[in-house]
Amino acid sequence: MPHLEINGKPVEVPAGTNLIEAARRLNIEIPHYCYHPGLAVVGSCRMCQVEVELNGRKSIVVGCNTAAADGMKVFNNTEAIHRIRSGVLEFYLQHHPLDCPICDDAGECDLQNYYLLHGLHDSRVELTEKHHKHKVHDVGPTVVLDSERCVLCSRCARFCREIAGVDELGIFEHGGDSELLNVPGRLLENDYAGNVVDLCPVGALTDKDFRFRRRVWYLKRTPSVCTGCSRGCNIYVDWETSRSYKNPQRRIQRLKPRYNRGVNEWWICDRGRYGYHAVDAENRLTAPRTKSDGESEATVDGVLDRAAEKIKAALAKHGPKSVAVIASSSSSNEDLFLLKRLFADELKVHSLDVTLSGEPKGKEDEILMKADVSPNRRGAVEIGVQPWGGGGVAGDDIVASALDGDYEVLIVVHHDLTRMLSQKERNRLGQNCDYILYLGTHENGMCHLADDVIPIAMWAERDATYTNFQGRVQRTWRPFEPRGEALCEWRVWQELGKRLGHSLPAESVAGVFDSIGTVVASFKGLTWEGLPANGIMLTGVSEPAYRKVQSSHPLPAY
Amino acid sequence: MTSSNGTRLLSRNFALPGQANLDTALKRGAYEMLKRALKMKPEEVTTVVKASGLRGHGGAGFSAGMKWGFVPKDVFPRYVCVNADESEPGTCKDRLILEYDPHLLIEGALICAWAVQAERIYIYVRGEYFYPTRIVQRAIDEARAKGFVGENILGSGWSCHVHLGTGAGQYICGEETGLIESLEGKKGWPRLKPPFYPAAVGLWGKPTIVNNVETLAFVPRIIEIGAEKFLSYGTPKAGGPTLFSLSGSVNRPGVYELPTGVPLKTLIYDCGGGIKDGRRLKAVIPGGSSSHILTAEECENLKMDFESVVAAGSMLGSAAVMVIDETVSIPRLMVWMTRFYAHESCGQCTPCREGTGWLLRLATRILEGRGRRRDLDDLYELAENIDGKTICALGQAVAWPTKSYITKFRHEFEALIQE
Repeated sequence: MPHLEINGKPVEVPAGTNLIEAARRLNIEIPHYCYHPGLAVVGSCRMCQVEVELNGRKSIVVGCNTAAADGMKVFNNTEAIHRIRSGVLEFYLQHHPLDCPICDDAGECDLQNYYLLHGLHDSRVELTEKHHKHKVHDVGPTVVLDSERCVLCSRCARFCREIAGVDELGIFEHGGDSELLNVPGRLLENDYAGNVVDLCPVGALTDKDFRFRRRVWYLKRTPSVCTGCSRGCNIYVDWETSRSYKNPQRRIQRLKPRYNRGVNEWWICDRGRYGYHAVDAENRLTAPRTKSDGESEATVDGVLDRAAEKIKAALAKHGPKSVAVIASSSSSNEDLFLLKRLFADELKVHSLDVTLSGEPKGKEDEILMKADVSPNRRGAVEIGVQPWGGGGVAGDDIVASALDGDYEVLIVVHHDLTRMLSQKERNRLGQNCDYILYLGTHENGMCHLADDVIPIAMWAERDATYTNFQGRVQRTWRPFEPRGEALCEWRVWQELGKRLGHSLPAESVAGVFDSIGTVVASFKGLTWEGLPANGIMLTGVSEPAYRKVQSSHPLPAY
Repeated sequence: MTSSNGTRLLSRNFALPGQANLDTALKRGAYEMLKRALKMKPEEVTTVVKASGLRGHGGAGFSAGMKWGFVPKDVFPRYVCVNADESEPGTCKDRLILEYDPHLLIEGALICAWAVQAERIYIYVRGEYFYPTRIVQRAIDEARAKGFVGENILGSGWSCHVHLGTGAGQYICGEETGLIESLEGKKGWPRLKPPFYPAAVGLWGKPTIVNNVETLAFVPRIIEIGAEKFLSYGTPKAGGPTLFSLSGSVNRPGVYELPTGVPLKTLIYDCGGGIKDGRRLKAVIPGGSSSHILTAEECENLKMDFESVVAAGSMLGSAAVMVIDETVSIPRLMVWMTRFYAHESCGQCTPCREGTGWLLRLATRILEGRGRRRDLDDLYELAENIDGKTICALGQAVAWPTKSYITKFRHEFEALIQE
């Protein structure tokens, strides 16, 4: 492990670490455009030049392509370095448009940031001398290119080739005419296209979904976990609610990947990136509903009271066999734990399950996307939300039995059974089940079929934990309150438990999680306070071997 | 071709008819030195070449034998690339070898391949060299048919294939790593260093010797006359003669083979027949357009070897000597030079991509009489901001001449600035 000094501060780094990464450990930023830790080193931007002294010899090198060496002294702040960077920046700004006030990247633009650090020179270029290239150029369905802003760092082109394994973007022409464009006949339409916007150090590539919506300095950032599939990519939720006149219905402005070496590294897929629209979709359920006679307006308390009565009556009359629960692997660990405590442990209901064969499936690839679109199936398995005891009935059979009228009470979470049933079957289910309670987030067929409906908070509206397919427990942070009267699922079970005379463990999500840690073997020792930002493996499950997130057929560096 | 004072070592067969044909060339001893080299141990060949003082004639002047010695042990396959992407303005010597004695080049490349135990030779010819390309391809085919190229060469048990590749018209593909990228079928963008030497990591990541045409064409002659004799044709630090491409304001421009270290005056006045129309010498560009310009005074006693030219403040480069008389405008020369580099910049790294065009704009503005007083300082500063800050040497190839033109002929620029 080489020991070196950067700006006089000592640091020890693993052999092979480059100077940019070594400096990062000391919170020293060596400016760069083309370098990205997840992509091949090309050394073309020339911003990361630093002075290096080794064995008494001084030289100027690029930080990205120089490995830290024992006894090396690196200087990132000398007058010579400042002059070099200022010179390089001037070359970048020579033809760069003066459009920061209307550029989406303003505020998070490395050209702006580095100019403030190393530039601050007056322009020596006449406006009439500026080159003109493609403006508002559609490179694909989700991304727009402004070629004049492009600094030709080639990160986007390298991402497409090395990570997504497709040849969709390239740099064409040569010298001063060089321009980033689509590879002829190809659009930027791979499943990971949105990442090129994150990679772009300037405002050349912008996201059609985000551009012109908010200045980035109004955004607030909350770490979270994508619930789009069972991988659970780490993300940031960039949100803003105070300037509601811009778009009252939209609280989340965009999602950005959050680095997690063991899960998603620096990337997320477009399915996850744009999936957040569901949170503020127009068809969100924001109030409870009921079919009950004589009630003009449904209240959550009213629905809960009725549900408790119905369950009580069914249990008293026909025993636990007359109640069935179809839970969901989209629910959090806390939701499923309380559900299991209430129905299996306290009420002895045997027929509960999370899995239905008709559940929607997504695309699966070897990069990030998993076919299982629910974020917590592993959690459901570990917590034991499944049929148990002698008479337990599994998911599909619960539906079949419900059609046959075997249950007095059927509780369904998230699953839209109506999509798996014919019209005739739907009618039969309505007739043959005495009482159906549906917990959901969006308007769907179940809202009409069920006797009572309780609106549930979505992932961005709550603190929760999910267990991904690897067995990694990861938590979300709540940026804002649930919409309307929606409430967290675990609160429904807690309230229902109270009404049924069973006191469930806790009053807070942290408390619920901590009791999972005392009860469920694979969660043993895990505590809410002890959850690291990048998740923690279940007890007894070892961290999977490191695997670089990339296509199995990467193309060579650009 | 005329050489009043020359040693005709490499070029001795240039003027003889039919030398490009194998049958004729064989009568004059072609491939005899390959036979001799194949009887030597590969390391012996490298040792002889090292001792001969042969230095690269492509521009950098690096010791050829030393370069061959950089090939790491036990890493195979290995390749030899012949750099025939001759594009430096003023340079036209490799073309003669390709056209008039292609078998000498193939023989030299084969001896090099034997010395480094390479299994393939790629001759990378400049895209615009349509005619030389055809001649070299025919020569390769003839040599293959006669068993000098291919499997089990001359019964030695050693096999080496020769392929010809052509560029698509980019100066930068003459940079050795740009050449390798181009050969690999990619855009000819020079590679980031380190790794510094293709001899260690080259074509397809394997050890690769990239040598200039002239350098390799000298190799059979070294085997023929021996290292000591070869050394005596040059200076102790640079053995053998050099092909000088003489152009500009001289009466007899052309390629002259002269001992390395010959006085510049001999080249200009004896070989070139003096300055055109009896004009006065103003300046000389001694090593291709990338080298610093030298004033007439600086050229007075200049000897044309690597060290002497460097000591005079320039470089021997590809030994393309451009003679500039008193009627030539240096600002015009600057526009011509910067236009070339702005056009040939590959666009990979920022200072060169953005800087060359800017230099051209400023130089043009001054030449057209629209210059401002500060433009000269700006030109110098921009050249300074390019110099040494780039991935390959094209950055300094434009920065060095720019700085030298402004420093040495500032009055000519100032005369054009009206303001």
